[in-house]
Amino acid sequence: MGDIVVLLKPALNPEMIRGTQDGSVDFDYMPLKLSDIDRNAVEEAVMLRDQYFKGSKIYSISVVTWGPASKRDKDVKMAVQEGLAKGVDEAYIVEDDSIVPGDPVTTASAIVAVIRKFGLKPDLILAGEATIDGFSGQVAGRVAVKLGLPYVSFARKVELKGNSIVAERDVEDYVEVVEAPLPAVVSVTREINAPRPPTLVQIRMASRKPQHMVKLSDLEGVVTPKRRLAAARVLAVKRKQMIIEGKTPEETADKLLDALASEGVIKA
Amino acid sequence: MPTSMVVGSSEDDIAEALTVARQLGDAVIVAYGNVNTGSLAEYGHKVYHVKADDPESVFLAVKQVYDEVKPSLVVAPTNKNLKDALSRLSGLYDLPMATEVFNVKVSGSSASYTRGFLSGRALEDDQVPLPAVLLIAARKVPRAQKSQAKGEVVELQASPAVKIIERRPKERGGVNIETAELIVSVGRGFRSKEDLKLAFELAEALGAQIGCSRPIAADLKWLGEDHWVGLSGHKVAPRLYVAIGISGAPQHLAGITDAKVVVAINNDKSAPIFKNCDYGVVADLYQFVPVLTKRVKERLHR
Repeated sequence: MGDIVVLLKPALNPEMIRGTQDGSVDFDYMPLKLSDIDRNAVEEAVMLRDQYFKGSKIYSISVVTWGPASKRDKDVKMAVQEGLAKGVDEAYIVEDDSIVPGDPVTTASAIVAVIRKFGLKPDLILAGEATIDGFSGQVAGRVAVKLGLPYVSFARKVELKGNSIVAERDVEDYVEVVEAPLPAVVSVTREINAPRPPTLVQIRMASRKPQHMVKLSDLEGVVTPKRRLAAARVLAVKRKQMIIEGKTPEETADKLLDALASEGVIKA
Repeated sequence: MPTSMVVGSSEDDIAEALTVARQLGDAVIVAYGNVNTGSLAEYGHKVYHVKADDPESVFLAVKQVYDEVKPSLVVAPTNKNLKDALSRLSGLYDLPMATEVFNVKVSGSSASYTRGFLSGRALEDDQVPLPAVLLIAARKVPRAQKSQAKGEVVELQASPAVKIIERRPKERGGVNIETAELIVSVGRGFRSKEDLKLAFELAEALGAQIGCSRPIAADLKWLGEDHWVGLSGHKVAPRLYVAIGISGAPQHLAGITDAKVVVAINNDKSAPIFKNCDYGVVADLYQFVPVLTKRVKERLHR
């Protein structure tokens, strides 16, 4: 009892974006990394385990959505290994070229298929509120409904009380405190904690923890991607990048205000 | 049989979603929370209403109507509670779902749309088969017109498993940063909350609103979240954005892509903000900002 599953996505790293000649996103060039908000989800899993479920296990599940597997495999394992270093005990990775590029329909059905296939019985499933590449925030909700579990989204604080979870949900206009029976699915925001970097010992230990590679043929009920990515183009924001310097702060200020006046954004 | 379903909690949101939904013909409306259902009925579509506004109740109401109507398309505005409620509907029936979409075109069998991804640094054009769920970007489509006919209003009940214990409104500073023309924005370069007055004085001299980066609103709570500029905060489109003591994390930069002119003031010349600004001043903000404020006052008000 008390096991936790945390969803970890090896996501495209937006900071490494590059365009091809015609302005399309150069997917081949972009590496994957552990999606930022998933770090908060792992951190929370570890803290909740240490506080409430001592001795229970944390499993992670990752579904590779950007292929081809041969090219992504190293990045995927690095991202997953980060979770293992932070305290995940065992990782499941669904890597299969027939489901890339993936979409949330595929990802959620694959996660649920892994949970069923390997008989995982988590009391809590944690996920980041959204991933840094797609940022649509829908996988956790899909997983919850498929498993018939209560879902608490956008949690920025989580506590356990008896057999319930009490969470603060961060919505646009208000903060809502809710209580849901366990087992439950929870998506967390970046505000929930400050992830600690793993120690050197933890990083070394991580490479010895089990990473189960899963193929589609091992699973049942995975839905193939429904979304067709017709085109993806880099949004070019061209900034002038002019550094303004003067002999005195007054001169610098004047040069800056002259530039802003000539742009027509102020009337000075 | 109506072919689309529109979900929302305000007339503005619902009217915009209807414009997209009507591409397929008739629609039904699922409204939740405190809305004027009489006014919504004037759009000429059947209105289902659930008084609760938590995501689970909204999901349960939407599911009930979806099962009855079997629409090809569900259209709603993008917000957190609807991401929650409609991801559950999508998960239940393996429907494709996309958020923050615009340029939506719907035919009998598929929908296409554009949306930002990669932290706002790219746009994707997607095509999905119907039935599908689309959460549209706010204020990018015109509102639908009301009609002669009046739709019937049906009240729904929901009994969620997740219990709401408390709800408290977020503190509001009374700013609407998304529509501000001039913004002076503050970041971690400020050493204390009191020091922000340097930026307030510059903002006052310029007639600008105050914005901030994520740590100022989310971690330090020196300013309310309505000032927060970025991917998880607000997207802004001012004609002038002055970033003071902001290093320029990707999530922050994603919030200012629509700014016309970006000025950066930072003492670290290797800060990423300098690669993402039009005019940069490498200086200690404590020394430079007061001088800038003084010169703005002298020049703007002479």
